[in-house]
Amino acid sequence: MGIRFVLMVNKQGQTRLAQYYEYLTIEERRALEGEIVRKCLARNEQQCSFVEHRNYKIVYRRYASLFFLVGVDNEENELAILEFIHLLVETMDRHFGNVCELDIMFHLEKAHFMLEEMVMNGCIVETSKSNILSPIQLMEKAS
Amino acid sequence: MSSQGGFGQSKEFLDLIKSIGEARSKAEEDRIVLREIDTLKARLSSPNITKFKLKEYLMRLIYVEMLGHDASFGYIHAVKMTHDESLLLKRTGYLAVTLFLNEDHDLIILIVNTIQKDLRSDNYLVVCAALNAVCRLINEETIPAVLPQVVELLGHQKEAVRKKAVMALHRFYQRAPGSVSHLISNFRKRLCDNDPGVMAATLCPLFDLITIDVNSFKDLVVSFVNILKQVAERRLPKSYDYHQMPAPFIQIKLLKILSLLGNGDKKSSEQMYTILGDIMRKCDSASNIGNAVLYECICCVCSIHPNPKLLESAADTISKFLKGDSHNLKYLGIDALGLLIRISPEIAEQHQLAVIDCLEDPDDTLKRKTFDLLYKMTKSSNVEVIVDRMIDYMISINDHHYKTEIASRCVELAEQFAPSNQWFIQTMNKVFEHAGDLVNTKVAHNLMRLIAEGFGEDDNTADSQLRSSAVESYLRIIGEPKLPSTFLQVICWVLGEYGTADGKYSASYITGKLCDAAEAHSTDDTVKAYAVTALMKIYSFEIAAGRKVDMLPECQSLVEELLASHSTDLQQRAYELQAIICLDAHAVENIMPMDANCEDIEIDKNLSFLDAYVQESLEKGAQPYIPEDERSGLSNISNFRSQDHESSIHALRFEAYELPKFPVPPKAPSILSSSVELVPVPEPSYVADVHQPATSALTVSNSGSSELKLRLDGVQKKWGRPAFSSTTPSTSSGDTFESNNGTTRHESISSTKSKVHDVSYDSRKLQPEISTEKQKLAASLFGGASKSDRKQSYTGQKVSKTNSHGADKSNLAKAASSSDNAAVIPTSQPPPDLLDLGEPTVTSSAPSVDPFKQLEGLLDPTQDTTKLSSGGVGVPNAPDIMSLYADMSLSGQSTTVANPPPNAIKTHLAKQPSKGPNVQEFLEKDALVRQVGVTPSGQNPNLFKDLLG
Repeated sequence: MGIRFVLMVNKQGQTRLAQYYEYLTIEERRALEGEIVRKCLARNEQQCSFVEHRNYKIVYRRYASLFFLVGVDNEENELAILEFIHLLVETMDRHFGNVCELDIMFHLEKAHFMLEEMVMNGCIVETSKSNILSPIQLMEKAS
Repeated sequence: MSSQGGFGQSKEFLDLIKSIGEARSKAEEDRIVLREIDTLKARLSSPNITKFKLKEYLMRLIYVEMLGHDASFGYIHAVKMTHDESLLLKRTGYLAVTLFLNEDHDLIILIVNTIQKDLRSDNYLVVCAALNAVCRLINEETIPAVLPQVVELLGHQKEAVRKKAVMALHRFYQRAPGSVSHLISNFRKRLCDNDPGVMAATLCPLFDLITIDVNSFKDLVVSFVNILKQVAERRLPKSYDYHQMPAPFIQIKLLKILSLLGNGDKKSSEQMYTILGDIMRKCDSASNIGNAVLYECICCVCSIHPNPKLLESAADTISKFLKGDSHNLKYLGIDALGLLIRISPEIAEQHQLAVIDCLEDPDDTLKRKTFDLLYKMTKSSNVEVIVDRMIDYMISINDHHYKTEIASRCVELAEQFAPSNQWFIQTMNKVFEHAGDLVNTKVAHNLMRLIAEGFGEDDNTADSQLRSSAVESYLRIIGEPKLPSTFLQVICWVLGEYGTADGKYSASYITGKLCDAAEAHSTDDTVKAYAVTALMKIYSFEIAAGRKVDMLPECQSLVEELLASHSTDLQQRAYELQAIICLDAHAVENIMPMDANCEDIEIDKNLSFLDAYVQESLEKGAQPYIPEDERSGLSNISNFRSQDHESSIHALRFEAYELPKFPVPPKAPSILSSSVELVPVPEPSYVADVHQPATSALTVSNSGSSELKLRLDGVQKKWGRPAFSSTTPSTSSGDTFESNNGTTRHESISSTKSKVHDVSYDSRKLQPEISTEKQKLAASLFGGASKSDRKQSYTGQKVSKTNSHGADKSNLAKAASSSDNAAVIPTSQPPPDLLDLGEPTVTSSAPSVDPFKQLEGLLDPTQDTTKLSSGGVGVPNAPDIMSLYADMSLSGQSTTVANPPPNAIKTHLAKQPSKGPNVQEFLEKDALVRQVGVTPSGQNPNLFKDLLG
């Protein structure tokens, strides 16, 4: 089903956002997040942005101190997922303006809403920034 | 600032975020969260919470779970919030529910009713929120409750709703294909939707459907090609563009679909050639996204019916990928090469050095990808080199998951292509020795069977040679410490069967070794069992051959020990051994025939040989046997079971139950009856659909897993079934290629060898030596060049290439060493410690990260000090500061641009003046954050760092 999870974890291994598209228990998530971040931190900038972990392929990208990690299955186009991460960050940047880790922490629900617009059932469904953001902006206006 | 909307959040929430943000270790974070759990429990139990407070509590609960703790005590509040009128609260409620509950959670039933109501809402945003929830929460049982509404929403006037309705149907299809099998035509209809977003979303379910059943969708090839053409010609709204590429994510999805449809179908493929060529020509190979599309094109070109021109441009693109500096591109290049060599095997040759570089790269990801490629191009001429490399790598890694995979690949390749028996046995020994406890026990059993049955050829001498060499190597290995259990089992079994078969080793030698093994692994009952049985076989072969059996003293003590073993299995084996030894040669020959392990044993299931005994007993007055199902006590249970099963087939009913008829009380369990009034559904017709899908769901998952299987197309099977498992027409050409190379291979190796000789004594020729090594490797992997004159040119090319490569490497090394301090991180952080939550550079980096301090310098110094001292309680000061910022923002902006500080935030701002947010906005945001008490302190400099800096 393509995307299995989207994670944002900072350099210290603290989770900032987690969205799983398949069910894992809290313990499984905790273990998985720890292992993956350790793996990614051990890699340098020259190496591939892709890592295999258990039966996942992890595509990751680092922005300042925050890692964006997307777990996909084997059939996925890794480079496209890498760019999808960037699209997500660009979208958040457009909404928050110079998005930083703290924006995501204070507005966790909005970050989730954006992700909800972009990914459904583990598939990328929307890639137009205006389409992604308009429901969120409308909602803000209403409340 | 409008998007910011202020923080509107309570001090408590802000403090929580602040302390989580500043936590310096996981332990500290855990303490904070545990305290938060207590607070939340207290808060949530108080009787009157305002709605907005509750929303905040929900977000805090989400934090609790996200950070790895259980927040189930608050789930019910999330459920309640979904009932709320306010869109924001409702959506937050749905979000929390989707994050907390999996689709089979008991609480879901309480939400179905809300979802149904929301799907009927006049506000399309409410409908969208509900559809989002449908995609996450509705399971097979609840599909009928919402299905009719979702289908209706496919025609909704708002495109956002149509898009999400399509995805909801997609989700139903994923969960229970049978539930929507009659609705497939809707997907076809939505593909032609006016809105590109709806069309793009529809590609997701269509991709899944086409994966399962290509043939039903061949008629859509034209449509897909047309859409792709329009996308590529920039007919879609500009907002879909990404880095100047027109809707690349849609293009990629379409290419994936086309590669399915064109696979093995010449007619369909021909319709795609033009557009594929166009896209590959136009694609911007300088950007990541352009390369992502190019890669997808290659995948498609390699999957559909081959077209020489397209294959050529695919090959060109691949060599661009492989030659580039980016590891990501090399990775894709290697992957694409693996696809292309199935169609044109000769392409591998020109990339041999690039492939070897990737194989030797320290980057594990790249290395593994290259092993995947080697696995795909293994043939009998290069199997030894490849498998040896794989085994070396297997020994070097600790990752169990991959170790297991690579071990099984080694076994598979060895079984298929082994050039000799000795090599095969040695390879298997190595695999077992280093990954024995990881390989599937099936592999061990396979190996035993292979040794026992031979390799399907009628040549008995070859088989016995194989066995002899196995025995010989096992006798050598058996004494080694720390052998995996599975391997020892194989060894014991083989020694028992064939240890004395060729007469080379005496029975006492073999039995001695077996006893030693059993003793050395005294804790492993399985190994002991195998060893005892092996002893028994050897002794019985001796007896049958008419030789006198002298049991070694250590064997005797072993048997005695086992006679008193706690394991009944071992005991029985020991007693059997004892019994057999006392029998005469004729009887032993019948019980333990030599080399009879492959013969079928007929089993008399009716136990007819007992008839006489039964008859006798009956005559003596014994009770006759009653079959199990006829026995009275048990019949009830089985009946009960089948009843139970039947009732479980009935899914939940969402339509109202009929009024209870007295005196018969309704049979449904209490939860169900309570849910009755919650979920009234007028159409009962959909209930029927849910009942059948179990089997079709199974097939889906099956085919899904088969996709993940190793690709064996084009791989010749040496042993096992003597057939080609290939579908591509190219295999035969691949084979001729291989046989051609078989002869030239030695030549090229010897020539490179002589070259080594020439230079090896020369001390300064270190680099050429490496290159010859590489050449050798290349020659053995790729079979070298097939013509001698070409070979000549090759070596020249190779040397120059490796030279330049060497230079590259030194550059890289330099870059790597300098990158440690130059750092990609704007602040001069040391290389990240693994999960070390300490922030060692805190004091030095904090001031430079704080953009605020600089601004403070511009402000009145007294203001500055009051602000610093007020810190967390800065709220009352805030308005003044804000107004000051408003006044100062212009000058602030100019100063920032004038003397750009070293940190990334400012440069980012300076660089992107066109972007929406400006300095003022940024500073306002910063001020707001500060005002609520989160200041960029030594503990959290990163929290403020611009992600896109």
